[in-house]
Amino acid sequence: MEVVTLLREEHTARLRFAREDKPVNVLDEACMAQLEAHLEALEAAPPRCLVLESGMPGCFIAGADIDRIAAVQDATEATRLAERGQALCRRLEALPAVSIAVVRGACMGGGMELALACDHILAVDERATKLALPEIQLGIHPGFGGCVRLPKRVGWIRAVEMILSGKPVDARRARRIGLAALSSAPEQTEQGIQYLAGKGKAHRGRPGPWWLALSPAKALFFRQVEKKALARFRHLDIEAAYPAIPATIALLKEMIGLSDGIAYAREAASLGRLAVTPCCKNLIRVFHLGNALKKQEAVRRGREAVSRFRQTSVYGAGVMGSGIAWVAAKTTDVDLHDVAAESLARGMKSLGALARRDARRLQRIRPVLDHSGLAQSDVVIEAVLEDIDIKRALWQEVEARVSAQCLLLSNTSSLSVTAMQEGAAHPERIAGMHFFNPAPKMPLVEVVAGEKTAPEAVDQTAALAAAWGKYPLVVKDKPGFLVNRCLMPFMVAALQLIEQGQKPEHVDGALKHFGMPMGAMELADRVGLDICLHVGTHLADAFGARFSMPAWLAQMVKDGLLGAKSGSGFFIYRGGKQQQLNSKLGQYLKLSSADRESDADISTHPDGAWPDQDIVDYCLLPMLVEALACLHESIVQDARHLDAAFIYGVGFPPFRGGLLREFAHRPRDALRQHIERLGLTPPANLEVLDDFA
Amino acid sequence: MPDLNSVGMREVVVVAAVRTPLAKANGAFDRLSAVELGALAMRELMARSPISRDDVDSVIVGNVIQPADAANIARVIALNAGVPRAVPAHTVHRNCASGMQAVTDAAQMVMAGRAEVVIAGGVESMTHAPLLLHDEVRAAMYRLSRARSVKDRLRVLGALAKARWKPRVALMEGLTDPTVRLNMGQTAEILAREFSITRREQDDFALRSHQQAEAAWQAGFYDDEVMHVFAPPSFAAVHRDEGIRSGQSMEALGKLKPVFDKPLGTVTAGNSSQITDGAAMLLISHREKAEAEGWPILGYVYDWAYSGCDPARMGLGPVYASHRLLQRAGLAMTDITRMEINEAFAAQVLACLKAMESDAFAREHLGLEQAPGAPDMDRLNVHGGAVALGHPVGMTGARLIMTLLRQLQHDTGGGMGVATLCIGGGQGGAVLLGSEPWKS
Repeated sequence: MEVVTLLREEHTARLRFAREDKPVNVLDEACMAQLEAHLEALEAAPPRCLVLESGMPGCFIAGADIDRIAAVQDATEATRLAERGQALCRRLEALPAVSIAVVRGACMGGGMELALACDHILAVDERATKLALPEIQLGIHPGFGGCVRLPKRVGWIRAVEMILSGKPVDARRARRIGLAALSSAPEQTEQGIQYLAGKGKAHRGRPGPWWLALSPAKALFFRQVEKKALARFRHLDIEAAYPAIPATIALLKEMIGLSDGIAYAREAASLGRLAVTPCCKNLIRVFHLGNALKKQEAVRRGREAVSRFRQTSVYGAGVMGSGIAWVAAKTTDVDLHDVAAESLARGMKSLGALARRDARRLQRIRPVLDHSGLAQSDVVIEAVLEDIDIKRALWQEVEARVSAQCLLLSNTSSLSVTAMQEGAAHPERIAGMHFFNPAPKMPLVEVVAGEKTAPEAVDQTAALAAAWGKYPLVVKDKPGFLVNRCLMPFMVAALQLIEQGQKPEHVDGALKHFGMPMGAMELADRVGLDICLHVGTHLADAFGARFSMPAWLAQMVKDGLLGAKSGSGFFIYRGGKQQQLNSKLGQYLKLSSADRESDADISTHPDGAWPDQDIVDYCLLPMLVEALACLHESIVQDARHLDAAFIYGVGFPPFRGGLLREFAHRPRDALRQHIERLGLTPPANLEVLDDFA
Repeated sequence: MPDLNSVGMREVVVVAAVRTPLAKANGAFDRLSAVELGALAMRELMARSPISRDDVDSVIVGNVIQPADAANIARVIALNAGVPRAVPAHTVHRNCASGMQAVTDAAQMVMAGRAEVVIAGGVESMTHAPLLLHDEVRAAMYRLSRARSVKDRLRVLGALAKARWKPRVALMEGLTDPTVRLNMGQTAEILAREFSITRREQDDFALRSHQQAEAAWQAGFYDDEVMHVFAPPSFAAVHRDEGIRSGQSMEALGKLKPVFDKPLGTVTAGNSSQITDGAAMLLISHREKAEAEGWPILGYVYDWAYSGCDPARMGLGPVYASHRLLQRAGLAMTDITRMEINEAFAAQVLACLKAMESDAFAREHLGLEQAPGAPDMDRLNVHGGAVALGHPVGMTGARLIMTLLRQLQHDTGGGMGVATLCIGGGQGGAVLLGSEPWKS
């Protein structure tokens, strides 16, 4: 099948990328081979002008074939792959023709590197046009010469930023920073090509700024870059977790002042080393997991209806409610309802901080103290108190005012959607849409169908989540749904550990060192100890004692130690920031050692402290057992969704590829014994892990 | 009231109305632009009213200090508030009566059958009145852009350095009548002198305004008229009008020094209207439409009149305008249940009342044998006025209509009212309103 077509006109030749087997253009084997053949023909009879363009809507070239990278097992093989791409780009660059890449739609990774090899980039100014080198997000760096060519267009400082963040730029910004020679309206593309053809071949000198050639300045600059890039990963062994970040920084630093030929060789070699790291394989896997959720059938079916939604009403302006309002404001106007002006003010103020980056979005949110505006709403989301009577009463109030088609969604984390449908005039439009805290940041949304929920309502909820940039996961209406049900045994295990004398900061440190965004105690504090207790009790009622919270936690809640919101829980919080361990903790349980002033962020190893790995296993194995139980009970349909859920819902470290993936590498027998040693029953479907190795 | 049906015209009704609280300049709303204030009120109005946004035929907004970055501010507000793009919008300017002009223009459209539903209102952010450069700076900047040689540039730069860089304050210039070169406060001083209104009378009136506004808020009169605004950066809820001083006293008022005619004058900051920010929006339609759709009717806009007068005595505008209005309708002052005369200055309202009672004034200026008479004090500005609440110039006209209609509906159980104000530049505007609460 032809995926690149060479079209010749009088003085102009066009390389047109278009294919029918995939929704986007990809530089896979077929594409590379055809491109090489066409280049040979072009070298034999060079045109005056060569145009690279796409025949696919919304996409120039989406990148290299990441499945090919995922399959590579050997560093030299990966290096050869990069060298092949580099050679292709260099031949394109060396053609006597003036080459112009007409970028319309997504231009990512390898596609961007191909465009960079052209003399000029013409960025067509429309919404879909995005240029980026997002390789870092997959645990590698550009390998087709992008690390050499990008600085020549935008200078080292911007290039380092773009390569290390992987963030896209739009057409206008591409023009402003010099990445594109021109940005034009879609109708002006042909004139744009003519104009750029008239400019002749580009001659690029050494990239600036000049002072980066001075080694002290270079050292200082890259020290800052390193500091910024690694700030998020303070607790991790970065070389083991995300080796691509230090490797990319080192590569870029080394390249300054190097001749192009040597720089290309270094780039290819470095890519070879990175492509075989487990981090790269896992990140590619996670990328696919997320895409599977975003592009699931339910989303496709609901998309059309949801695209007409203009207004969302959110009830409850607490942390969740206001966060949801912010998410919904991405595509609709939002009415944020609450009965108390103070909570609305608090909610709006918390959004005010987010609005520094997007002021227009905040203006789409209207704080409301009554029920006004419901008649115009397309969807109502409630995030009020977790009390079934309050929710039922609210739905009755709301149903009396909304239009017949309005979708009613509950952000409940523990109540049954089916129970909520009781007494509703139209229960078929009530569904669950469970966000994770903080809603603007956490990508997962659990979509819950009650007994009477119509399939269209489920589709629309999933599509709505996807439209808001979230990953919808359809789960069964059982207590705790998936994520909270699996998270509770994790927390219970962590509490047992500190009961047994492990220091809370040690437990948290071990988990953070493993890669969790926060430790179990901090998570409990952030969620609120009262909420943890409530959810735990609720789940224990439904599933048994493995969810029971210890009595001393109940006492803490009773005494007003609620976690971050009350200023103290396991730790002290000041202005939302975690401080030292709460000294009152000794009143509730026996703490092993007297020195409590050690930093909560550093895991220490005093006598009696367990090794990190044991602590992590102790906390995560109950979670794994519960996750497999959920799969067995069909709470989720697909085992792969379990991995996606914990990565996108609770921040399970993506570089590990997922919870199941993490344990799939352990010998089954040892794993079974380990689970038994913890006093748990090994799940019967443990062989599910076989697919995850 | 006037028999419109006989001439084939439609009865104009107000379906819904809402306003923001009034915040002192550089106060609670100092981070909100006029566009944002207007959009907040307009979105709230649409949410509170039973109409769908697709029902709106037109948007008219009055605004005096029109922001440079929002040409035709009505359109910018409408789009930000979520009014569909197909709905046209325009801005009107009749100085202090801009908000009133928006409502009467809307009424005229609806009356003549050119629109079914119109959103009309006023908005003003006096906080954001700009600071301007002197014209010589502009001229020099232009010459600089044209200067080619180094010598030319240096010469222009020299001129630029010598130019006056102290900014002109647009707020002060806007409040000054360019034809008679008098500040609005100075026109009030003229009235105080000519009608022999003492400082004590003015302070008395100012105190009454604060006390009545305070009492109205206490009694909950304003709870539904005024929306909550959650204003950045703190996002604390603002509901009550910021200018009302609960503990206002004659002693405190007496201590203030005259502002416009030092040291002998009588007009002070305490007995003048306050410089404030705010927005008010009304939904205008006609009786048949409202009844057919089942929309509530807050009240009726029967008729209106604008008239001109001496710019140096612009404060008397309400006397002329309300006389013309009542004469057209064949009504006497005693037929009016409630009246709102905007309190630009206490002296100016008191002068209006004296003029309305003066036979000599009636003979000389109104062509009447006898004075038309003034409203009783218990019918006038019953819930306080601009001295206590504030006077965001482009917005006040809309506020007066809204608050008067609510009074007629809730306080008096119907009746007729006149909302009137004086207009800088020597004009008066007056609107005849009515309510039939037993019908809605």
